[in-house]
Amino acid sequence: MFIKILSISFILTGFFFFTTATIGLLRFPDFFCRLHATGKGDTLAVLLSLIGLAIYNGFSLTSLKIVSIAVFYFVAQPTGTHAISRAALRCGVKPWAKGEERR
Amino acid sequence: MIRTTDDVIIKTVSRIFTPFIQIFALYVIMHGHYSPGGGFQGGVILGAGFILLVITQGLDETRRRFSQKLDTIFCSIGLLVYSGIGMLCLIIGGNYLDYSKLSKILPVLAAKARSLGILGVEIGVGIGVMAVMYSIFSDIVTGGE
Amino acid sequence: MQQFFLIVGTGLCFLVLLCLYRGVFGPTVLNRLAGISAIGTKTLVILLLMGFIYGRVDMFVDISMVYSILNFIGTLAVAKYLETKGEV
Repeated sequence: MFIKILSISFILTGFFFFTTATIGLLRFPDFFCRLHATGKGDTLAVLLSLIGLAIYNGFSLTSLKIVSIAVFYFVAQPTGTHAISRAALRCGVKPWAKGEERR
Repeated sequence: MIRTTDDVIIKTVSRIFTPFIQIFALYVIMHGHYSPGGGFQGGVILGAGFILLVITQGLDETRRRFSQKLDTIFCSIGLLVYSGIGMLCLIIGGNYLDYSKLSKILPVLAAKARSLGILGVEIGVGIGVMAVMYSIFSDIVTGGE
Repeated sequence: MQQFFLIVGTGLCFLVLLCLYRGVFGPTVLNRLAGISAIGTKTLVILLLMGFIYGRVDMFVDISMVYSILNFIGTLAVAKYLETKGEV
């Protein structure tokens, strides 16, 4: 019973971070701000959700595979975000200052 | 011609991850009979690992490790393993790709001979698919040289 | 427990539809790339939840690992192309 409550709380926290990351992706005024939202929020949400699912399954080989997916994703997603922001800087996208209009 | 990325983070992360991607592709090939996967899917993942190396390290560096001559040899070896097992079954006395006749050469039962025959065919298909994907990608990149 | 996984999965599918807005109507190409990468992230978690609902976890774990590798390689490839060609 305790294991079920723990895993449900992990998955719900991950779902909350997914929601805030998506709202940030839609509502922020500039491209670099949106990259912040999806790069940080999505990574943390995936990490918490996968740990919750691994706890629910008990201690077996499948849980080890789920944790290894989480570790791979924890390193790979920030690298992808870094590549996108480097491409934006090379193309000449300017940062946003307060008082300008939405871009 | 693809030049190398002049960024430390992307080069280091892709160099760290390539062995794990290749080991995972071998796992997918070997466990084709039990979980989703098999020969073709594992070959595609192996080819994607090499394409990751070409994108981040540049075409010249990757060609130093996996030359065009070796690539052509791997294409032929993949096809040879796959057709060779089929022809072996034909020569012994059964139909084409009739693996149970392999029990006359190897000292195993008929059911185990079928399992070993399928495994050999999957390995051949995986090697061939990897080599062909790498060859098509380098042809597209260099514009047909 | 199955009802809980089903509700969370439906909520995540709704979030995917919201992300698709940025993938279609983003003002520039780079916005669309960020949107598609976010969709790939949510698909990964949805696949694992489906595995738990159907009761066959071993099968869906392999599929989601392959999808995460391909999402990573695809994002790197498109970002490199846009860096050398310039903004469309």
